[in-house]
Amino acid sequence: MSNYIGDNPYNSNTFGKSLSLRVDGGFKAVSISPSGRDAVLASRQGLYVVDLDDPFSAPRWLHHITSWEVADVQWSPHPSKPSWVVSTSNQKALVWNLSRSSSDAIEHVLHGHFRAISDINFHPQHPEILATCSIDAYVHSWDMRSPRRAYYSASVWSAGASQVKWNFQNPNVMASAHSNDIYIWDLRKGCIPLHVLKGHVNSVNSIDFNRVNETEIMSCSNDGTVKFWDYSIDSCEPQRTVVTDFPVARGRYLPFGKGFCVMPVTGGNNSIYLSSSVTDSDSESVSKFQPIYIFKGHSDCVSDFLWRVRHNNNSDVDDREFQLVTWSKDCDLRLWPVHDSTYEKVNYKRLQPLKTPLPDHEYRTYRQEPQVSRNLANKSSRVVEHFVTKSGSESFRDKNKVNHLAWVSGVRLHHANSQHNVFDQDKLQNLGEEVSMVGHKFPKIVFEKISVSTGTLILTLNGPWSEQSPEDLVFLRIQVSFPSSYPRKECVPHFKIEENRELSASKIEEINEQLSKISRRYVDLEKYCLEPCLRFLLGEKINLDTLLEEEELLNLDAVDHADLHDLSSLESSDIRSGAISEMSRTSDEEAGDFDNKSSNDAFVTRSANNLDLDTTPIPKGCGATWTPSGQLVCFFLTEGKAEKKQQSLLRLGRRSATGFKDNTKPELLYDDESHTVSKRPKRYVETLSASSAQNSEPANSANESDSEESSDSFGDDWNDIVRSDITLRTRMPVFSNFKKTLASIPSDGGKSNVSVPKSKNTVIIQDFSHLVADKKQLALEYTFNGESLEAVCKYNAQVAETHDFEDVAHCWRMIANVLIGREERNDNGFGWDPQALGDQWFIKETMKYFEKLKNVQMLAMLSCILMSPPQGNDDTQVPRNRGENIITFDNDFHGNSARSHQGSVSSSVKSEDYFSTHPPGGKFSKYRPSNAGLRSEVNMAPSLLPDIKIEIIRDEVLDLMDGQTPPLLDPLDEQKYKSYRYQYAELLFYWGLLINRAELLHFNNTGDFFANDLWHHPTGSDLNGSEQQKYTGVSYKLVANGGDSRLNRICNYCELKVDGRGFACGNCQHIIHATCAKKWWEISDDCPSGCGCRCVEMFDVV
Amino acid sequence: MVTISNAHSELIHDAVLDYYGKRLATCSSDKTIKIFEVENDTHKLVETLYGHEGPVWQVDWAHPKFGVILASCSYDGKVLIWKEENGRWTQIAAHALHSASVNSVQWAPHEYGPFLLAASSDGKVSVVEFKENGTTAPVIIEAHAIGVNTASWASASLQDGTSALQERRFVTGGADNLVKVWKYSPEANTYLLQDTLEGHSDWVRDVAWSPSVLLRSYLASVSQDRTCIIWTQENNQGPWKKTLLKDDKFPDVLWRASWSLSGNILALSGGDNKVTLWKENLEGNWESAGEVEQ
Repeated sequence: MSNYIGDNPYNSNTFGKSLSLRVDGGFKAVSISPSGRDAVLASRQGLYVVDLDDPFSAPRWLHHITSWEVADVQWSPHPSKPSWVVSTSNQKALVWNLSRSSSDAIEHVLHGHFRAISDINFHPQHPEILATCSIDAYVHSWDMRSPRRAYYSASVWSAGASQVKWNFQNPNVMASAHSNDIYIWDLRKGCIPLHVLKGHVNSVNSIDFNRVNETEIMSCSNDGTVKFWDYSIDSCEPQRTVVTDFPVARGRYLPFGKGFCVMPVTGGNNSIYLSSSVTDSDSESVSKFQPIYIFKGHSDCVSDFLWRVRHNNNSDVDDREFQLVTWSKDCDLRLWPVHDSTYEKVNYKRLQPLKTPLPDHEYRTYRQEPQVSRNLANKSSRVVEHFVTKSGSESFRDKNKVNHLAWVSGVRLHHANSQHNVFDQDKLQNLGEEVSMVGHKFPKIVFEKISVSTGTLILTLNGPWSEQSPEDLVFLRIQVSFPSSYPRKECVPHFKIEENRELSASKIEEINEQLSKISRRYVDLEKYCLEPCLRFLLGEKINLDTLLEEEELLNLDAVDHADLHDLSSLESSDIRSGAISEMSRTSDEEAGDFDNKSSNDAFVTRSANNLDLDTTPIPKGCGATWTPSGQLVCFFLTEGKAEKKQQSLLRLGRRSATGFKDNTKPELLYDDESHTVSKRPKRYVETLSASSAQNSEPANSANESDSEESSDSFGDDWNDIVRSDITLRTRMPVFSNFKKTLASIPSDGGKSNVSVPKSKNTVIIQDFSHLVADKKQLALEYTFNGESLEAVCKYNAQVAETHDFEDVAHCWRMIANVLIGREERNDNGFGWDPQALGDQWFIKETMKYFEKLKNVQMLAMLSCILMSPPQGNDDTQVPRNRGENIITFDNDFHGNSARSHQGSVSSSVKSEDYFSTHPPGGKFSKYRPSNAGLRSEVNMAPSLLPDIKIEIIRDEVLDLMDGQTPPLLDPLDEQKYKSYRYQYAELLFYWGLLINRAELLHFNNTGDFFANDLWHHPTGSDLNGSEQQKYTGVSYKLVANGGDSRLNRICNYCELKVDGRGFACGNCQHIIHATCAKKWWEISDDCPSGCGCRCVEMFDVV
Repeated sequence: MVTISNAHSELIHDAVLDYYGKRLATCSSDKTIKIFEVENDTHKLVETLYGHEGPVWQVDWAHPKFGVILASCSYDGKVLIWKEENGRWTQIAAHALHSASVNSVQWAPHEYGPFLLAASSDGKVSVVEFKENGTTAPVIIEAHAIGVNTASWASASLQDGTSALQERRFVTGGADNLVKVWKYSPEANTYLLQDTLEGHSDWVRDVAWSPSVLLRSYLASVSQDRTCIIWTQENNQGPWKKTLLKDDKFPDVLWRASWSLSGNILALSGGDNKVTLWKENLEGNWESAGEVEQ
């Protein structure tokens, strides 16, 4: 049994049996591999490859998500192309190669039709040729060696095609069904049909050539008839018509014997009807349909039916056996056995000598991801993340990864039950696996129906329940229904034993009672109970009392109970674990399939192997994280008061047992590490073993400066952790191998863990913004611009004052005074006054103070306001600059260190400019004595601050002073200040003050255009500043090229991706949302990135 | 003040607000991650993310310019990346780069790009770069032999105006009681050990790099030896200066350290179920700035 999945069809455990398999997900079409091993199902989500020999395993999912229903899927019938599957996707046909990795399995795309393809048919002789037909009325024939275009096309023009089929005997002939008629084509005769078979009075749904007689074809139609034609005899009248009482969707000749099967469109009891052909030519040409066998059982219309076939390789006799595979809208894939009586009725005699040997197909499954490409696929599965963009190949892979979740929620073959359970791990992941495990373990039990999604099983077995003689086995048919959250507590499965003449009602009652007792016991421990129940049914004695005892132990080391009390044989459990490891291996191979169970298994083995090395620290139960806005998110463990009391009582009790205040050190448990300061276990795994030793009393550690109370609460917390870990462990298979480790640990055996209280926890978010120096409310109102520097300072001082930040306000005022003092001294011609250097010192000290306070806001504000103005030699200072506020300009910091006297020349010119717009005497004197003449306060709303009366000064004096006053900020620190401004900009961004941020960034604009923010300007680095300024052509290159697009598509105003309308400056190449641009350019003409480009001017965009 | 009680059925191990302070992500031993929408004093559970197979230790939000992205790490050895789009959360990636519990996960400062740092008990640290073309480039470093308990990125330092990418640094803390600082080397395309900081006498449980760089870089490391050490470095170079946060030991082991955005307040938490706040006074000494009671 250990290799239950063989490479021989005669080892198949599903062939010749009936089986129902629920596959949710809206699958429309089905096909089967010629070897009979795999079935492929196609839906709008792609293909599922199901291994019919191992239906419990998750199918392989090849993603192809489209909005179009798949009309048809066909597995290549040729031994030379065992891995080829073709499916439809609207007007295209996709040729899949299943031996390639799932993410890359599409070999060809056949695109020739211009409307949806309705049918595909592989050529029966040529592996590379297939035919498609479409509702665009065309029939195409493709050669996959040159798949770009069809090599043969024909059209009926009048009606779309529903089916196309190749002739089995004549490789040049094919037939297609269009509306009510059937057209026979010969490739050599071009697009003129060989024959047109007219006779149906409603549209033809299906056609099928006879396998033996070249010119015989059968057709089925919505008119409820099946017609048999022989166009070599008569193309106007069918040879025979069979009238059914339902519209016929499919009708095909049997692959064996003489007969055919039909499938209704609707009605007909959702069954497949098998009928033998009446070969008697004398009989009436129209007859009533007389099925000889009915495959009945689906609860909704059958979508398609197929024949699964097996035969011996190299056999010279016809030893084929068949199994019917049906796919229905009720989402059940069913396998039906075909009985010998049926073979007889259709005149199929097995073991007849063959004229031509049967094709040999390798019996293998394509369900597993191919080995060769495993690494590749593995990589791609890890690689699936994409953040903003959606390029084609990426999104494809992306879907590959959704795989598992979708499979879990949609398919439910593997992962059943409630959402909780899906992610719950016991040894077994879910009912499906439990059934699978049990199914492999008890080959004698036959599962008639497995529907994991609905939680129902129907199984048959022979058990020693005979009341007459205990030796006799009684055949039992049992229906088991599992509640959706099984095996959670109280979710006991329900066993229903079908009435049986060999069993009395009372006996059934008795068995039922026992079963429910067993299952309840197990389920109460949240264990899967199917196995013990089946063991019971098979006649084994299930000792529930030992179960409890063992359970405790097991709970501690979380070993699957089965391993311990499995009395039957070691072998079986070995097999089981073998099966499991094999499963994990197989699904390991399924790259891209994030199979919960298997990967977990893999992890189990991984971590179990080096449990000793598991250095995972003990979990944190309490913590705090800051948010940018100054809130603190804290999480704690809490405990109810009653619980607490009980806990301390319990501990007291235990303590007295071991001696009060005695440091109950669990021996052997904390090895050498126990001499460290804390007695608390250090490793996560130790917390688990500590709990099992029952006397984890880590609270009373040696130091003991703490009050008794605090150590109490601490101990409680600890117990809490420990307890929660117990619950954790019972469900974590990770520890299944603990058994050995823990076996040596003596168990006090007192407390049982049956009802473990859940630990409690709280998350609180508390506002601590008062502790943070940076204030949003100040940022909202602070200004960079004003009539003069000191006015700006005073204004900001007032802002701080209104918000009750006295110290900050005070500081602003002091700065303002320093500035005023400077100007006054300048007025008096004391430009060389050492006091000026004193100002610099003062500012430096102020900055230091705020550095210590870590007040980024003040640092950034001050560094902006006190920043040295630029040299006046900037080419870009076109007249428009005059409209700018005081400090928004293109400056050049590198010029700072080399301040020259040039400045005075240009500034004197500009002072004249100034005078032309402003009469002397006004606020003039408030300007900085540098070349500030250019910058007027035009844009500013009038300050509310009281004007300060200052004497009129002569501009000549001012000019003289220029270039001589030392800057307020140490130019050597400029890099540092730049970083402060940047950090503050980040802060403003956090606060959502985008305008303020953009304003601020202007101060960081330096000569080297892009260096300050590389992330935003990845392409800018190859353009140097001077080129930039000269270049005024409009460039759309950036937006159009897709190369490094994501980086460039971030709006420089709001930092979000530009998706819709945006503006890309051709000069600085910065991008901004149209809406953001509107907001920003109301205020400024500059680029919001702070690069210094004047986008508006350059292009007049607004 | 928002209070969320018993959101998880088992211990909570991390709780983080997103960039805008609107969404709270919590993770727990119950193997789930929960997303809450937080508005003023109210909160609403919007999503529970299932996918980890063990306790989830830590979560971290990516910068919003990469989308609504959450990274989580778990005892199951995996790092999962989650994404919200149109109100739907999906798991967009899983990284099984580690062979043991992944104890911490953190996104790099956004200036660096989408880099994810994860520390694992297998002794390794991984930095995964999510490239534009959808591929990833993981760099795996042997960091602390016994196990890495925590890792934290340095803030994006732009002081010298050079490329931020070249300056990438992070700090790790491990079960060997050491704190190590790593710096990216473009030549080697990996992270090289820059400094090894010795000072703790027991496992280092958390390290935090102050988000803002003013006078100097600040590192806080907390350990099971019940101490917190502040490490400072001038101008991103030179030796690290060690300062004990307070001379006597804390009442219990310390678990977490977190800096406020401007780096002026340090929040510590530990086994005594208390959160304490600390700040540096003008003399350069650390003093208490308060305590948070549940």
